[in-house]
Amino acid sequence: MRIFLSLLFFFTLSFGADASIEVIKKVDVAPNIGVEDSSIGYDESLRNSFFKTLLGDLNVLSLFNVDRQHYTTNYENNDVVVENRDKDYVIRYKVSEEVDKSFNVTMKIMKKSVVVATKNYTLKNKNLYVFVAHAMAFDVNEYMGAAPVNWIKSKVLIARLVSPGQSEILVCDYTLTFSQRIVKGGINIFPKWANKDQSAFYYTYLSGRKPILKLVDIRTGKASNVLSSDGMIVCSDVSPDGKKLLVTMAPEGQPDIYLYNVDSKKSTRLTTYQGIDVGGQFLNDNRVAFISNRLGYPNIFALTIGSNAVEQLVFEGKSNSSCSAYNGYVVYKARESSDTFGDNTFNLHLISTGSSVVRRLTATGVNEFPRFSGDGDSILYVKEYKQQSSIGIIRLKYNKNYLFPLKYGKIQSIDW
Amino acid sequence: MKKNVILSSVAVAVLLFSGCSTNKPTVDQTAKTITTPSLESSSVNTETTAPVTSNNATDNVAANGASMADIEKSMTSVYFDFDKFNIREDMKANVSTDSSIAKAAASAYGVKLEGNCDEWGSDEYNFALGLKRAQAVKTELVNEGVDAKRISMVSLGKSTPVCTEKTKECWAKNRRVDFKLLP
Repeated sequence: MRIFLSLLFFFTLSFGADASIEVIKKVDVAPNIGVEDSSIGYDESLRNSFFKTLLGDLNVLSLFNVDRQHYTTNYENNDVVVENRDKDYVIRYKVSEEVDKSFNVTMKIMKKSVVVATKNYTLKNKNLYVFVAHAMAFDVNEYMGAAPVNWIKSKVLIARLVSPGQSEILVCDYTLTFSQRIVKGGINIFPKWANKDQSAFYYTYLSGRKPILKLVDIRTGKASNVLSSDGMIVCSDVSPDGKKLLVTMAPEGQPDIYLYNVDSKKSTRLTTYQGIDVGGQFLNDNRVAFISNRLGYPNIFALTIGSNAVEQLVFEGKSNSSCSAYNGYVVYKARESSDTFGDNTFNLHLISTGSSVVRRLTATGVNEFPRFSGDGDSILYVKEYKQQSSIGIIRLKYNKNYLFPLKYGKIQSIDW
Repeated sequence: MKKNVILSSVAVAVLLFSGCSTNKPTVDQTAKTITTPSLESSSVNTETTAPVTSNNATDNVAANGASMADIEKSMTSVYFDFDKFNIREDMKANVSTDSSIAKAAASAYGVKLEGNCDEWGSDEYNFALGLKRAQAVKTELVNEGVDAKRISMVSLGKSTPVCTEKTKECWAKNRRVDFKLLP
């Protein structure tokens, strides 16, 4: 069953130069855009799904007021449909199946009814059609001269719990509309992309005698063991060049953060606190953000590699148990109610290590697994609210938050 | 020693963005690069080792005639409070019983301590919490005379719940350390 991309809600807040600073401004007057479907191939279900995917992508770009109406017209018509005559922009596209069974899409970008750009996309496997919609949105964004949205084409890794003692890893598009299982059998968790190309990933395999950190090269299909540790082992973060890992290990039963050099295969212990130190994330300036219970509850701290000094980064929240970092920014999950087992609210907050300002990014429900996009432009997360699971995209520059219904209920971890 | 190894071949999607599209002449072609995904499939052999449970331990028989599985069943889980890893007063008797079994009937086996958590949180912190629970039990076992070299630990987080209802009682059952025997 497909998940239809739908925009559930957005809120408008705005940032200044520092993304953690919240500034209220007037609602922008965004250009209007309509979408015209000229498809002639495939069944109605696929055509509708493709339209909704593209519509969702255009919304997430945060550049337009998107008309949600599904207009149809002939691709060669010179005029836009009547309802779109007053639109600033119109996207007209045609999905067709070629003789060689390839999935083909032709797109026109029309400005005030004048064609200003055309694109053609072909795909051997139509099951990947959502990536064509994402590529179209990427090109529209580029045509508009907006900041790059490379993340819209990036893949997402998720680990999901299938049954007690069984969890599997899937590769998905950023909306999780498309998914394909990569690893199954036993407990496979904490997947982490190994490089910017997303050609390999690390994950933890728990069903052997010892926890093992594995590396899967998805180009060759080979899996290899990287490290093992008694107790637990997790690859928490990979440096931008892919040469260093922040790994949580517990060789003596004590969970600590280690810096692992991929080339030399040597590990350096970074934390020595006798409680819990986990979840290392590379910050700028040779620093590492991490989670520690050294104050009696989980909170966000930072250390400088090569130094014993530890700095507390967050001074609010009762339980801040996970975070993701990009350069000087840290997004973290905080429990915001004191009821141990009630309807707790977990919200995401953003801080800049250069200021003391804390910006709340979500308002309701259980929000977790925050992950920055590779360029820091956006944050991906999972939201549970009123029995509905959703994948969320926070566009930091545009101060908007988009939710897509999620079909995977029991997500264990996620990486973007 | 019996170890089940299952080799499972799974398809891997390699979604590469390649320039397989073409541009048509346009009036204003700002976007320069056309990118669409293509699919390359290959298979990866993921070695999956079956968890060490009583099912693959039934061949082992202790000196007193009891099977390893039977001895393992006689060991009792240790339960913990929310967000805690200290051993509660009411759980100390369980640990004492388990240490007695580990030193007597199970003396020929290794002891694997599996730390578990409730569903509140699946991040690394929760896994570390499960590990600290296992470590607390290990410390008690060692204090009562069990050889530390026989003991291994793993945190399973919330991956292996024994109860899946959304109740306080159910969550309490999942905050535990289980005992597994290793040949």
